[in-house]
Amino acid sequence: MKPAPFDYSAPTTVDEATVILAEHGDEAKPLAGGQSLVPLLALRLARFAHLVDLNDVAELAGVQRENGTLRVGAMTRQRAAERSEEVAAAVPLLARALPLIGHRQIRARGTVGGSIAHADPASELPAVALALDADLEVRSSRGSRTIAAADFLVSMWTTALEPDELLVAVRFPVWGPRSGFAVEEFARRDGDFAIAGAATGVQIDDAGTITRAAIGLFGMGLSSVRAATAETALIGSSVNDADLDDIGRAAVADAEPSDDLHASAAYRRRVGAHLVRVALARSLEEASRG
Amino acid sequence: MTSIHAPTAGRFVGQSIARTEDLRLVTGKGRYVDDVQLKGMLHAAFLRSDVARGRIAKIDTTAAAALPGVHHVLIGADLNPHAGLMIPSLFVDGSFGVVGPIRPLAGDDVRFVGDPIALVIADDRYVAEDACDLIEVDIEPLEPVVDWEHAAASSELVHPEQGTNVNMHMATEPSADLDAALASAASVVRETYYQHRYSTVPMETRGVVASWDAHSQHLEVWQSSQNPHEVRLAMSRTTGVPENRVRVHSGDVGGGFGQKSFCGKEELAVALAAKVLGLTVKWIEDRREDLIAGYHARQARADCMYAFDADHRIVAAGMAHLEDTGAYPLGGGASGPMACMHYPGPYKTPLLEWSSTVVWTNTCGRAAYRAPWQMESVAREQMIEHCARVLGVDPIDLRRINVLHREELPHTNPAGVLIENVSPLETLEAAADQIGYSAFRDEQAGLRADGVYRGIGTCLYIEPSPTALAAYANEPVHIRVQPDGHVDVFLGSGAHGQGLETTTAQLTAEFLGVDFGDVSVHQGDTESTPFGPGTGGSRSGPMIGATVLQAASGLKDKILRIAAHQLEAAVEDLTMEGGVVSVIGTPARTVALSDIATAAYHHSYLLPPGEEAGLEVVNRYMAPETIWSNACHMALVEVDTVTGRVDVLRYVVAEDCGKMINPMIVEGQISGGVVQGLGGVLYEENAYDESGNPLATTFLDYLLPSSTEVPDIEIVHLETPASTLGGFKGCGEGGAIGAPPAIFNAVCDALAPLGVHLTRQPLSPNAVVGALVAAGH
Amino acid sequence: MAERAISVQVNGRARRAVVEPRRTLADFLRDDCGLTGTHLGCEHGVCGACTVLVDGEAVRSCLMLAVGANGHDVTTVEGLTPPDGSLSPVQQAFRECHGLQCGFCTPGFVVSVTALLDEGAELTDEEMRDAISGNLCRCTGYQGIFAAVRRAEELRSVQSNGGTR
Repeated sequence: MKPAPFDYSAPTTVDEATVILAEHGDEAKPLAGGQSLVPLLALRLARFAHLVDLNDVAELAGVQRENGTLRVGAMTRQRAAERSEEVAAAVPLLARALPLIGHRQIRARGTVGGSIAHADPASELPAVALALDADLEVRSSRGSRTIAAADFLVSMWTTALEPDELLVAVRFPVWGPRSGFAVEEFARRDGDFAIAGAATGVQIDDAGTITRAAIGLFGMGLSSVRAATAETALIGSSVNDADLDDIGRAAVADAEPSDDLHASAAYRRRVGAHLVRVALARSLEEASRG
Repeated sequence: MTSIHAPTAGRFVGQSIARTEDLRLVTGKGRYVDDVQLKGMLHAAFLRSDVARGRIAKIDTTAAAALPGVHHVLIGADLNPHAGLMIPSLFVDGSFGVVGPIRPLAGDDVRFVGDPIALVIADDRYVAEDACDLIEVDIEPLEPVVDWEHAAASSELVHPEQGTNVNMHMATEPSADLDAALASAASVVRETYYQHRYSTVPMETRGVVASWDAHSQHLEVWQSSQNPHEVRLAMSRTTGVPENRVRVHSGDVGGGFGQKSFCGKEELAVALAAKVLGLTVKWIEDRREDLIAGYHARQARADCMYAFDADHRIVAAGMAHLEDTGAYPLGGGASGPMACMHYPGPYKTPLLEWSSTVVWTNTCGRAAYRAPWQMESVAREQMIEHCARVLGVDPIDLRRINVLHREELPHTNPAGVLIENVSPLETLEAAADQIGYSAFRDEQAGLRADGVYRGIGTCLYIEPSPTALAAYANEPVHIRVQPDGHVDVFLGSGAHGQGLETTTAQLTAEFLGVDFGDVSVHQGDTESTPFGPGTGGSRSGPMIGATVLQAASGLKDKILRIAAHQLEAAVEDLTMEGGVVSVIGTPARTVALSDIATAAYHHSYLLPPGEEAGLEVVNRYMAPETIWSNACHMALVEVDTVTGRVDVLRYVVAEDCGKMINPMIVEGQISGGVVQGLGGVLYEENAYDESGNPLATTFLDYLLPSSTEVPDIEIVHLETPASTLGGFKGCGEGGAIGAPPAIFNAVCDALAPLGVHLTRQPLSPNAVVGALVAAGH
Repeated sequence: MAERAISVQVNGRARRAVVEPRRTLADFLRDDCGLTGTHLGCEHGVCGACTVLVDGEAVRSCLMLAVGANGHDVTTVEGLTPPDGSLSPVQQAFRECHGLQCGFCTPGFVVSVTALLDEGAELTDEEMRDAISGNLCRCTGYQGIFAAVRRAEELRSVQSNGGTR
C-alpha cells in the first residue's frame, strides 16, 4: 500500500507555505502530523499533486496565554499539549480530550491543528473546539482571518478553509472559576475512533445554579455537533436537580448520527445520551468543588 | 492416570526453557520473506476486481506497460495457459471435496471482490501500484451470489463449470432408532446458531520471492509458509518444474494459523510468472489485500437438536451444518463433515444425525483457521447451555450428567470417531474450582439486583489432532551428530511461532543425552530437510516428540554400543548425559560423544565389528491414531446493559495436553488461541454488503484485540498422556475452540434473566444492545 | 516527482540518500538502510509493527515520510540492541517472559516499551495495558507481554542501581 506520486515542499515559514498553497490551489495539501493524511495516501483514497510539509515551520508550534484565551499553534504536537501544564490549567477540556486520541505513538506526531482541520466527525478535538466556541486563525497569501469553530467545521472532512488557506492557530476561551469539564467516549477498543462521544463544560454560580454550559458531540453524524438546545435547557438549573437523563436525550436529538459497520444510528443516540449524562455529571461535580 | 498440577519433567523436557529463536527475533534479526533481497529482484502487485461477479468486457494494459519502471503487465490470457494444477496436494485426488477451478489470474470473468485480474512486475512496489492504477478494465456486473443461506437454491452460479453452487453435501441416512428416540424423549430442543466470517490475520501477511534460473533450470522460492515441502510440490505442479529442481526456503514466519498451511493462489501465480519470464520476483501481500482476498474462515450455520430423557441424559443429537467457502477456498477450509462427526464432543450421545452442506459464493475463499472444524464446539456448547436453561438445570450440572467418564474410555461416538486418553470431567471440575463457580452462582442474583449483569459461560471440548491423514501420518527427523559432538537436527516442519527450534532441542537433549546448547535445529529449507508435513493441526508436539524419541533412542543405542566397545564395558552399565558416556558407578571411566563421533566418521576401525560408520539417522514416526487433547474454558463476563459492552473479567482454562515439552510455550499457545477466539466472538468480522463488497478492508474496521481488551488468562494443567510414543499431545489450536462459546455463553448467562436470547455473533456492543432492545430494554 | 536528498541519523550514523517524497520512513529504513528489523504489518498506522524512535519518541514509521525524517534522529530495534551479543533489559525481559512467538510484532513492542520505560512513570496495570495498546500482537494474547513489561522494569532498575542481573 504505497502512496501515489506527489511533489513536495518543506517551507520554514508561514509566508512561504501560503505562497506555495496559492500557487497550487486545490492540487496542494498541507502535511501536518500525517496520522490521518498518510493512511489516506497509502490507501490511495486521496491523491494530491503537491504536499506542503509544515513540520519545519517552527512558528506554527507553541502554546500561549493571551487575553482570556489559550492560543495553540496549529502544529503543536498532541503529546506536547497533553504534557503542557498551561493547557491543563487554562483549557481542561482540551487537556482531557488529548489522551483519548488514538495511542501515544499517534499523538507523538499528530497535531492539534491537524486534527481540527481534518474535521473527522468521530474525533475529539473538533468537538472540543466547537463546544468551547474556539476561534480558528487562518492565513493565506491574501491575508488573515478568524473563523468561529461553528463556521469552520462544515461537514465530514470539510472545513471552511479555501484551498490556499492555512490554519495557523486555535484560540480556546479560558473559563473562570467554578467550572468543570469532562470528555466521555465509547469506542470498540482503546484508542479507536469514537462510536459516540461527548465533551462537556459547565460553570455554576455561588448558589449552585448553572450559568454556562457547553456540550459538543462526536461520532454523532457527518460533523461535530453542538447540542445547543440541551445547553439552553441546562442553564438555570441547579447542580442538584438538573435532570441529566433528559438533557442527554435532548442533546442527541440535535444530532443526525449514521448507520455503519460498527453501530446503528439508534445505538449512537442511546449511547450518546448516556455519555452526555456521565460527562455532565462529572463536569458538575468538578464545578461544585470550586 | 490423570495428575493435576504435577507434570512430569525431565532435565530438559518439561522445563520452561527460554527460546533460542528469541535471540534473533528480539534484536530484529529475524529473516522474514520481505527481508529477502536478491540481485535483480523485481516487485509484483496485483490489480484486483472491485466487483463481486462480472464479465471482463475490456482490459487495456498499454498505459501501464509503458510506465517507466514497469517490466511486465500480465493478464489471464498471458499467464493462465502456462499453469498446471493449482490446488494443494491433499486435494488433488478429489477425495476431500472439490476446490474449484483455480487459475493464476481471472479469465473472462471475476468471481469475488479481490479476484486478481492482472499482475504487474516492476522495479519496486510503488511503481507497480502506479501501473495498476493505469490498467483500464471494464467489468459488466452480474448478479452476485452473496446470500450464502440461499446459495444452494440460486440460479446464479458462482462457478458455471460446476453446474451448482453446492460444493459438497453429505448426510447420515434416516434412522428409525433416532426417530423413535425423538418420539419418546422427555424433551427435544432445537436451535440454530451462527458463527460469522472472521479470519487468521497473522501480523505478517503472505509473501513470496520466486527466482527462475534458465541455465540451471532451477526454481528457487522463499515463502512465508507453514509447510515448505508442500510449497515445493505445489510450485512443481503449477510451473511444471520437477520437484527436485524446486528449492523452497521458509525462514521466519510471522504467524500463519492455517492461512499459510497450503500454497495460496497468488504465490503460485507469481512463481509461474517468474518461471515463464525468467525473473526473480517478490510479492508481499499488503494488509488491505489480506483482509479482502487473504482467505476467510469460520462462517457457518448449525441447526442443532438435542433430545433428553427425564433425567436430562442425552438420547439423541443432530446437527445440520451449512458452510460458506467463498469462491476459491484454499483447501482445508471446508470442515463440515469433520465438524458434524465431532459434534457429540465429550458427551455420551447414543444417536446422531447430521448433514453437511458446503456452498460457493462470490466472496473471498475460505482457508483453514486454527481448529477449522471448531463449529462443532461452538454450536454444541452454546446449544448445551441453551438446553440447560430450557430444562431448568445449571449448565455445569447438565454437563456432569452427560460427560464421558474415564472408565468409559476408549469410547466410539455414533459417527465412528474413537475417543481416548481424554479427561473432560476432570477439566470441568478443575475449571469450575479455579473460577469459583459455586461462589459466583451464589452472588450472581444479588449483583443483578444491583443492576450489575455478570454471567459465566463454559466450553468443554475434546480436540483431535489429525495425525493419521495422508502426508500428515508420518513425521520425519534427521539427527546428525557432528564429529565435534554437537548435534544437528533437521525437521520437516514449518514453525511460525511455536518455538520448534527450542522444543526440538529440548527433546533431542533429553533423549540423546546431550546438553540443550549443543543442539542446532533446522527447518524450512527443502534442500536440507526431510520431506515433511509442515506445522499445523496441533501436530508438532506429539509428532516431533515421538519421532525424536524414536530417532534419538536408536542413535543413543549405537553411541552406547561404540562406547561399550571402547570402554570395554557392557552396554547396560553405561549412561550418557551432557554428551559424555560414563560407566555407572565408575564415573572416572568416560568417553566423550565427540570421540565416538570422530571414530564413527574418521576411524571406523575403532568401531565394534559390524557397526556401520557415521552417526546420523533419518527416522519417520508413523502415528497410529488420532491424538486427543482436551480442555475446559470458563469465562466470567460483565455486560453493560446501556452500551452493550462485554468485559471479560476472568478467563480460566483447565487443559490437558498430556506431557508438556515446554510449559511456557504451551501456555503461550493457549493464551494466543484464547485471544483469537475472544477477538472473533466480540470484535472481528469480515463483513460483506448485499452486493458482495467487503466492508472491513483495513484495521480501522477489522478489529484485532489489543492489550486493553484481554483479561488475565488463568491456566490449570492436567496431564493424561497420549498412548503414542512419549505421551505428548497437541495443544496449539485449543484456545481458538474454547473462547468463542465460553464468552458467548457467559453473555447469554448474564442476559437471560432479561429475556435476551442470542444465536448470532459477533457480540458487538451494537448487537448486544439490539438484543436488549428487542427484549424491551 | 522530484527526488530529494536527505540526511537522517539512523542508530547514530548519518545515512544519506536521494528519495522520492512519497517514500515512507519505514521503507527507507528497511530497503535503503538495510535495517529490516522494522516490520510492515498494515502500512496504515494501526498495528505498530513499524514503530521506531524519532528524536526519542516512539512513532509509526509507516506514517512518516523519509523526507520528513531529514535532519532528525531515528532509532530502530537494531539501535537498541547492544553490539556485544547481549540483550537490552527490554529484550531480555521479552525472552524470559515468552513475550513473543512469531516475532513479527516484537521489534515494534521492544521500541515502544523502551520508550515507555524511558519516561520513568510508575504505571498501574491498567495504565500499562493502555500504554502498550498501540502495538498489536496476534500470537501471544498479550499475557507474556504484560509480564515482560514488568520484568523489564525490574531489570532496568537493577541495571541502573549498578547491580548484576
